[in-house]
Amino acid sequence: MNAHEILVVLGYGVLSAVATGLGALPFLFLRTLDPRMLAVANSIASGLMLGASFGLLREGAHFGTPQTVVGAALGVAFILLGEKVLEDREVSFGELSGAGAKRILLLLAVMTLHSFSEGVAVGVAFGGGATLGTLIALAIAVHNIPEGLAISAVMRPQGSSVLACAGWSIFSSLPQPLMAVPAFLFVEAFRPVLPYGLGFAAGAMVFMVFLELLPEAYRNTSRSAVALWVSVTLGAMILLQRFL
Amino acid sequence: MPSEPVLALLLCSGAAASATALGALPFALGRPPGRALVGLADALAGGLMLGAAYLLVGKGLDRGVGLVLAGAAAGVVYTWWIRRYAGLQELDEGTVAASERGYKLILQVGLHSAAEGVAMGVALVLDLRLGIFLALALAIHNVGEGVSLADALVGGGVAPGQAAGLCVAAKVSQPLLALALFALAPALAPVLPAMLGFAAGSLLFLVLTELVPDAYERAPALGVALALGATAAGVVLLEALLL
Repeated sequence: MNAHEILVVLGYGVLSAVATGLGALPFLFLRTLDPRMLAVANSIASGLMLGASFGLLREGAHFGTPQTVVGAALGVAFILLGEKVLEDREVSFGELSGAGAKRILLLLAVMTLHSFSEGVAVGVAFGGGATLGTLIALAIAVHNIPEGLAISAVMRPQGSSVLACAGWSIFSSLPQPLMAVPAFLFVEAFRPVLPYGLGFAAGAMVFMVFLELLPEAYRNTSRSAVALWVSVTLGAMILLQRFL
Repeated sequence: MPSEPVLALLLCSGAAASATALGALPFALGRPPGRALVGLADALAGGLMLGAAYLLVGKGLDRGVGLVLAGAAAGVVYTWWIRRYAGLQELDEGTVAASERGYKLILQVGLHSAAEGVAMGVALVLDLRLGIFLALALAIHNVGEGVSLADALVGGGVAPGQAAGLCVAAKVSQPLLALALFALAPALAPVLPAMLGFAAGSLLFLVLTELVPDAYERAPALGVALALGATAAGVVLLEALLL
């Protein structure tokens, strides 16, 4: 293990973090921010987040199912607690405030926390060999694009700028390079924590989809439209995970 | 074909279809069930079916991507067409006369039941445990559907006993198609991925157009989210343990 290897791990971590920002790009071409677009954006984010979560659960079960379940329960508790804490507070996020700002804050917190486990996954994978590590890092980088899209799909309809969407998307992935290096150096110490982290992210995301994103989507557009967008994005996410 | 799986299939699918009649029971007793309870049952069945759809599509992708995609698209289109054909959009908006509600719902339940039968049969062909599990999920869904249907029928003046009969009759295609599919399984082997895709697509679309939004309308979002999330995630994790 030398400095060169550590730089490679760090480089792939940074690359995968920056990839998250690409998810904001489609919103350069969408200007109107009416309730129907909010519903469609929510549906897209829901499909992507459900697909990502199911993949994380399978990955977690690989390392230990009970730990994954505990992690998922902690993820649900985190969202409930977060909403409770934010309930009576005035929250502002940049120029935004109110319920939208709270949701963005929670989503960014979840996404950022979940990047810690992704970073650990990259580091642990490099510990198993450079080829495996490169493969996993590239896969996570590609997965990060729809995650950035999911974040942007929640932020943009609330009025955030595209630049802010991209910036916060990248921010949410910064723990990846930060965690990849120590995880690579101390693989054996980090491996047991992984299923908890994967389960946490999955539990929090699934719960957020069903508690917040989908109910709002159904209120603002037809059932068929919600179902179609969720089906297509969920399907795309499943294919992406399957073939990368 | 060994006789035991056939027996299991008959028992499961028959029990699932008969469960629909349970939906009429509260009306026969003169005690319509609370909306929140029905909503939570929707969420429970929805989560189980969503998880099952995820497993089925995964099994399909092991066997052939193109066929799975074609099948899934067909499943989505079929379920979408049912909504149009049975006029369910108007039903959601509440612009349908009470006398027509029962008729529209029977149409919807009957057409959905066909796709559910295909899903149950294809799951049984794949793995007996997966099939039994899906039959259980569909039985819960059937009870919920039975409640909605019996509600509309009894509200339109039908006797509860007859309503129970109509509930089961509307679901009869479920065991029949499951059985037919199972019997034809060897001949259908080349198109199995397409049928898995169809099953997954139609289940997913059914969950997203009926069960999930119905659940939100009937029960508090927190309970619905917990029930949906726990069941869907549970099924996905179950796969790692069982299959």
